[in-house]
Amino acid sequence: MSKRYRQWVKQYQNQAWTLARYILKDAQEAEDATQDAFVKLWNNQDKVDPERVRPWLMKVTRNGCLDRLRRRRDNVEFDESYMAGEVSGPMQGLASNELGAWLQRAIQGLKEPYRSLVVLRDVHQHSYEDVAGMLELSLSQVKVYLHRARKELREQLAEVRP
Amino acid sequence: MNRNDEKREQQINALLDGELGEADTDELKSAAGDDRELARKIVEAYQLQQLMDDIGVEPAPASLTKRLNAIPRQHKPAAKFSLLQPRWVMALAAVPLAIIAVSLMQPDTPSASEVARARQDLAVAFAYLDKAGQFTSREINSTVGNTMSDAVAGSVIRNMKSQYKNSKEKEA
Repeated sequence: MSKRYRQWVKQYQNQAWTLARYILKDAQEAEDATQDAFVKLWNNQDKVDPERVRPWLMKVTRNGCLDRLRRRRDNVEFDESYMAGEVSGPMQGLASNELGAWLQRAIQGLKEPYRSLVVLRDVHQHSYEDVAGMLELSLSQVKVYLHRARKELREQLAEVRP
Repeated sequence: MNRNDEKREQQINALLDGELGEADTDELKSAAGDDRELARKIVEAYQLQQLMDDIGVEPAPASLTKRLNAIPRQHKPAAKFSLLQPRWVMALAAVPLAIIAVSLMQPDTPSASEVARARQDLAVAFAYLDKAGQFTSREINSTVGNTMSDAVAGSVIRNMKSQYKNSKEKEA
């Protein structure tokens, strides 16, 4: 039992941690949120379909992060009608090695659920079906929202590209 | 954004996801040859995708790995059945009470031994209540005095005793 759990930690801790960090924008809180998700996994290990552990864990991690954001009473985070997508300050002429760091901040600047969509689909490369299940969205919603998120990032990228 | 732009955006997304058919891909490439703006969008989309791939998944810090590996020691999985769990203790305690209640509520004439048993159970229960009442009286008495003590503990027991007496009269 514990061996199976340790295998899950090895396989999924990085993904859960990365998702939490993008959503919470705070390393310490992301650690706490990831730990909470794994405690739930440990307590529910007999109920979780072994074939679906990864999407289950990502969903629980994301929901835990969103609960934490709500507790911060950061209401702006939850205006899901559209994305703000502003990354602080223009960064003209970034070198290519700086673009990665810029993109991370740009993704963090997206609103939910766009941010989670980009992380789960484009960074973690989950299937559309898995992402739809994790975010409790329809497949068509996932495609439309992701389309908007990518377009937003692309437009920001065009502004900072050297 | 007009409908054609929207269609092109969807095609670019599908292209990145590897979901654009061969014919549509050829059509998009051909259109991009004549439309610099469209070509720029496709290039930017690829660049973005490349950057996303480069970001990848971040390794979790060692402190987190340590915390996650400690979870099995700190959180025992919930036991499926345990006689020590409060709900089971409560359920077990409720069984004799339920038997007494059912035996008192039986509309059929109970046998002599059942009546004797029920009365014995009730006598035990009242003896307990008397003791509890005396204890409660002492507690209240020491706090607020005799009058209040009788008013609280005495009235509860008197009320229950009168109900018991009534039920015996009805039986007779």
